[in-house]
Amino acid sequence: MRAANAKVVNSATLVMLAALVVGTALGPMLWAISTSLKNEVNAVSAIPSLIPSPATLSNYLSVFSHKTFVIELLNSILYAAGAVGIALAAGIPAGYAASRYTFPAKRAVMLLILATSMIPGVALLVPTFYLLDHFGLLSNRFAILIILASRIAPQTVWFIQNFIDAVPTEIDEAAHMDGASRWQILTRIVLPLIRPGIAAVAVIGAITTWNDYITVAVFAPDTAKRTLQVALVNQVFDAVGISWSFTMAFALVASLPVIVMFLLVQKWFIAGLTAGAVKG
Amino acid sequence: MLWFVPVLLLLLTVTLYPTIFVVWMSFQKTKFYELTGFVGLANYVDTLSSRAFWETTYTSLVYVAGSLVLSLGLGVLAALVLNNLKRGGAVLRVFTLVPWTLSMAVVGTIWLWLFNPSYGPISYSMGQLGLSPGLMLGDPELALWLTILVTSWWSFPYAMVIVTAAVQSIPRELYEAVAIDGGGWRAKLRYVTWPHLIPTIGSTALTLGILYLTLITLIIVLTGGGPLGATTTLSFEAFRGTVQAVNIGPTAVYSMAILLANVGLGVLYMRLTGRVTA
Repeated sequence: MRAANAKVVNSATLVMLAALVVGTALGPMLWAISTSLKNEVNAVSAIPSLIPSPATLSNYLSVFSHKTFVIELLNSILYAAGAVGIALAAGIPAGYAASRYTFPAKRAVMLLILATSMIPGVALLVPTFYLLDHFGLLSNRFAILIILASRIAPQTVWFIQNFIDAVPTEIDEAAHMDGASRWQILTRIVLPLIRPGIAAVAVIGAITTWNDYITVAVFAPDTAKRTLQVALVNQVFDAVGISWSFTMAFALVASLPVIVMFLLVQKWFIAGLTAGAVKG
Repeated sequence: MLWFVPVLLLLLTVTLYPTIFVVWMSFQKTKFYELTGFVGLANYVDTLSSRAFWETTYTSLVYVAGSLVLSLGLGVLAALVLNNLKRGGAVLRVFTLVPWTLSMAVVGTIWLWLFNPSYGPISYSMGQLGLSPGLMLGDPELALWLTILVTSWWSFPYAMVIVTAAVQSIPRELYEAVAIDGGGWRAKLRYVTWPHLIPTIGSTALTLGILYLTLITLIIVLTGGGPLGATTTLSFEAFRGTVQAVNIGPTAVYSMAILLANVGLGVLYMRLTGRVTA
């Protein structure tokens, strides 16, 4: 009887703690959503309230009709899609070779990729800015794409390598017997088999790139080249003219694609986070 | 080898070339954005003998250590709590992970609003409790701690996911053995869960430590390094030096300090986890 009681108390505490954990994570976001649904006057009322009354979608309409919103959205999409495309184009052949070939320089090449992944972007701000300025490439969209792609390239190679490792080499050998070239084996046989894996890498890379602020903010001073993230931060810098209900709506709109992508691939996302992090 | 050419080309031009360049830059005399000649170690001597460098280093250490304690503490708690729920743990874990997917720009903006001294819910609640909220992020005594709080809110879900994976890899038999010996949940936690988690917590601390050391966007949005330099970390200083461009020689030295610390932590991580991809 005592044991049973202890169990009940235990699980009630557990449920309360679970509510606390989830509340901690989601509470601030709820507040942001609530503010985004208030009108500008209610957002700054003396007694803050979680329930917006009256609730209004006018902030969202203002976000969508803001004069620079479309170009910022297009830039965000272009950079995310372009950087992922470049990273995949470079990372797939490398991942395939890393999985299937052994040659003397391979260890050196893999170590080089590992070493570059340890160099933090923030330490490269000053030299990269200098070099881009020197070559006249500041605010150049292609330069931004290449820089963003290089940040996700190492992880792309490792993920692809792992996925191809899981494909039996017998499949390659059978195709080879039938006269397929290495390139045909990769593009016609191996890639279709690891398609879900490629989708996951692409989404994780797209989230990283979409969320970038610093690369675009520093290397693209031209406002026509900026993204939603940069535009959001610039609103905050304008502390006097800021409308918090508008800014919260903007922040949520800028986050929505990421949250949707995350929910679509959350299993892969979690697998990606834990890969190699837990010592078996 | 040909298969590696695209990725090597990418990494050599965008990562390795600027890395070599920043080393060279740190030995140059600079005026605004001009390199005006080789000066040997002068930038290093000037920077390392300045009070500002060591104050910034100290701020970085407090920021990294504080964020680690809070995010790992919350992360382990969240992992254990959600993993022990009979139902719904997995779904709640996905919800809890959402902050981690948000950009630092968004996280900073949301918390800047929550911490707003005039209209924010936090200062209002503090006022209701009879506490004086003060300037919140505008208070030099408080700004760093609030920045640590926000950093931890954003990143504890990461720690939670990693620790959950570790908890789930513990063999069930070990818990049963403790139960047979009459041990309750305290004993299970103390003798089974905890010893299994320590290596994972260590490697997660290193991953997050690297992240915190190089983090800037959140600080840019929340405090801009202020007030009175209270939240200026080494990385923030490298950023500030780049965009203000008064004298980039010392900025290159700050960048070198971050680079070396980062590579050191990275190598330590590889050693400890035995994760070598070559």
